[in-house]
Amino acid sequence: MEMDRPDGRSPNQLRPLACSRSVLHRAHGSATWAQGETKVLAAVYGPKAGTKKNENPEKASIEIIWKPNTGHIGQADREYEMILKKTFESICIRTIYPNTTTSIVVQVVHDDGALLPCAINAACAALVDAGIPLRHLAVAICCSVTDNNCIILDPSKQEEEKAKAFAYLVFPNTTVSVVPEKSLQAGSDPMAHGIITSVTHGAMSVDDYLHCLERGRATTQRLSEFLRKNMEPKSTREASKAG
Amino acid sequence: MREIQLQLNQTQKLRLQKVLETLESQSSIPNSDSSVTISDSISVNHEDGVLKGHGTTDHNGEVVATLCGIVERVNKLVYVRTLRSRYKPEDGDIVIGRVVEVAQKCWRLDINCSQNAYLMLSAMNMPDGVQRRRTAVDELNMRRIFEEGDVICAEVRRSQHDDIHLQARSQKYGKLNAGQLLTVAPYLVKRQKQHFHHLEKFDVDLILGCNGFVWVGEHVEARDVMVEDPVNLSDPQVLIPNENSVSLEEQDKNYTALETRNYICRAANAVRVLSTLGFTITLESIKEVIDLSISANLDIHDMFGSEFCVLVAEKEAERRSSSKRKR
Repeated sequence: MEMDRPDGRSPNQLRPLACSRSVLHRAHGSATWAQGETKVLAAVYGPKAGTKKNENPEKASIEIIWKPNTGHIGQADREYEMILKKTFESICIRTIYPNTTTSIVVQVVHDDGALLPCAINAACAALVDAGIPLRHLAVAICCSVTDNNCIILDPSKQEEEKAKAFAYLVFPNTTVSVVPEKSLQAGSDPMAHGIITSVTHGAMSVDDYLHCLERGRATTQRLSEFLRKNMEPKSTREASKAG
Repeated sequence: MREIQLQLNQTQKLRLQKVLETLESQSSIPNSDSSVTISDSISVNHEDGVLKGHGTTDHNGEVVATLCGIVERVNKLVYVRTLRSRYKPEDGDIVIGRVVEVAQKCWRLDINCSQNAYLMLSAMNMPDGVQRRRTAVDELNMRRIFEEGDVICAEVRRSQHDDIHLQARSQKYGKLNAGQLLTVAPYLVKRQKQHFHHLEKFDVDLILGCNGFVWVGEHVEARDVMVEDPVNLSDPQVLIPNENSVSLEEQDKNYTALETRNYICRAANAVRVLSTLGFTITLESIKEVIDLSISANLDIHDMFGSEFCVLVAEKEAERRSSSKRKR
């Protein structure tokens, strides 16, 4: 079913991605992530000694601080904080630094749709920049179902408001082996990798939801490639410069 | 750790590009396959029995990376070495720190690490040099030795129970006056045999802290109090440091010559330029940069110009290729 999107994209096309790391000098790790007009800045501080009272001291705890671009912190921001906390608790290897707290501060610079996925991607890049061990990278996208039951990826704010329902999906990234032959094997079996987080708004049918999952998972391949390219050249260049 | 923003024009960009490419081709990293990103599986010979080190984890029987970095293999140990990580203190490291707090029987120092370090009162020499038990009076007089904001050079003791303890028992450690403290990325300072350097030509002390703090300052003779005043020690009245006499002496010593100050600034700028370019900071590289700047007759503040930075990069590439040919 053909769909005319206001900015002329095809249903499966993502907005241009931009990611830069180590933007803040005093934070242990930081990154900005932009998808089209939506831009989020994330900073990671940690691990710091000590956990909060309600947290399990045998594991590292993660604290998220969400800062909206305007206004005071409200209920929606607290919900985002909770979602991010659960997502990153499953990614980080919490048994490595017991009794410590890692703080992730997320600052919304501009909101133009798909805010939560952008924030998750930014926070993940910031964690990598800080050198905190992770099980796998979190790759997040937003799929929305429009009124005529068409599924589009990465909607802008206009499209999100008009949509019947939308879902934020977070997947682990696809693995690439250091031995090149193995990576072909991993790519051929994408369904085995699982899903980390799914947040849905509005009402959609079960079939629509499963279609969203499929489309989302197929897109994670592209996003993983982008993340990988972003991280690699800097590391080899720095190593060669340092001698 | 703010870097200098280099405004390079077109030719300078090309030259810098060329230098970086030469360095990359010379670098000792054999193949780029060994750099991994998170959740990449590392190829291991499973029959040998592999020890999974830092930055790796076991996933469905495969060894998977949890950090981005280079895979290092030492016999059966496989680990991932990150390139830009926070400083992790090891025993015997020379570090430079700034006092953040004066607590009961210890000072807390900021050493550019994930936690602050402790310098116990018992790990510090008393100003009169006598070895004795620290009494309550000593505790109350801790501020006479170090205050908040002082820069201190010390050595890392056995880091136990997640706390970092420092000790400053020798005469070469202690408070640093008359100089500049610079912050560079910790991975640019490699562990070597000597961290205390003295540039005789300029009469400047250079201390390369392993935590990324570099001290450039006026040269201070390491005084051994025990040797100098054996007669006075027997006199109990001299044991209490006399405030008036010390301050008079210090006033004489406080004045640093303009010449020395110029050299201190030049050395500090050399370190800043090296850290912007991302080169390892060693005594040779700093000496070369200073010599280059003097031979080019540059003013101290001109050292941040893009032309000089490109020159430094080219010189460094030359130096590395010539040292490789010698080998």
